[in-house]
Amino acid sequence: MESELMESKLKTIFAESLDIDQSIVTDNLRYAEIPQWDSVAHMALMAYIEVGFDIMIDTEDVIDMSSFEKAKQIVTKYLD
Amino acid sequence: MLLSGKNAVVTGCLRGIGRKTLEKFAKQGANVWACAQHADEEFEKFCADLAQDTGTWVKPVYFDLTDFDAIKAGLKAIFADKQAVDVLVNVAGFTKDSIFHMTSMEQLKLIFEVNYFSQILISQYVTKLMVRQKCGSVINIASISGLDGSHGQLAYSSSKAALIGATRTMSRELAKQGVRVNAIAPGVIDTNMNSLVPEKVIAGHIKAMSIKRMGSSNEVANTILFLASDLSNYMTGQIIRVDGGIK
Repeated sequence: MESELMESKLKTIFAESLDIDQSIVTDNLRYAEIPQWDSVAHMALMAYIEVGFDIMIDTEDVIDMSSFEKAKQIVTKYLD
Repeated sequence: MLLSGKNAVVTGCLRGIGRKTLEKFAKQGANVWACAQHADEEFEKFCADLAQDTGTWVKPVYFDLTDFDAIKAGLKAIFADKQAVDVLVNVAGFTKDSIFHMTSMEQLKLIFEVNYFSQILISQYVTKLMVRQKCGSVINIASISGLDGSHGQLAYSSSKAALIGATRTMSRELAKQGVRVNAIAPGVIDTNMNSLVPEKVIAGHIKAMSIKRMGSSNEVANTILFLASDLSNYMTGQIIRVDGGIK
């Protein structure tokens, strides 16, 4: 998958899963820095990402996915 | 049928409680991923016959609980089937008994790896799927030794106590997402694991029971079936003793 396409899809998934505006979803968006991205929402987000990209995310990466930027790197790793 | 249309992952299916659970689940209409430590011709035939007799599918999945990469590969194969997973039963377990002062750190680590860390790893992956579905039932097979302690079973009893603690914590965290987590604490059950225990010790246990006999795998599997089914929809975080009333 092209990286721009992946980023766009991931951005949509973040916005829908966390119920936030897409404009907020930037590389600087970090876990727990907005009330919508708490621990419960994080697990729902993982589920959305797994379904959206048809991947199974390892627990280490669930823990490591601390920002949108990091999420892009992790998802890319699974798609390679 | 209590599990009609449900899909279940059951570990430890080669024999004992796991095998009986697999059989009971299929007879109650569940499709089962039957996880076992290693490939076995007799087991393959058992699964194929069971599927044919019950009109379900029963898929053998092999991984060793000391090999985390193998566990992940097994789970990935399960998820690749693109089916819902409604029930997870963590049956597989292992013991190597020794008293407190004679238990090496290697032995302790090995037993925790099989009886605790691997169960947590499997549960983490499978419940992620259940959270997505917003429903599911996890059943951990603990032991009364995890509740009461047991002479000569430091590693086993403490690993089962850890599993009981995890069961309670998981039940609290996952309830909001529709996932129930319970455990069963079997007492002295007539399985291979207890065949190594001296008769004198077994006799002592039986003397302490209200129902004065060993339990069967079938009797434990009956309780597993109850927890897997919708009959137990309002139960989570429970540790159910199936022990003939040991005092």
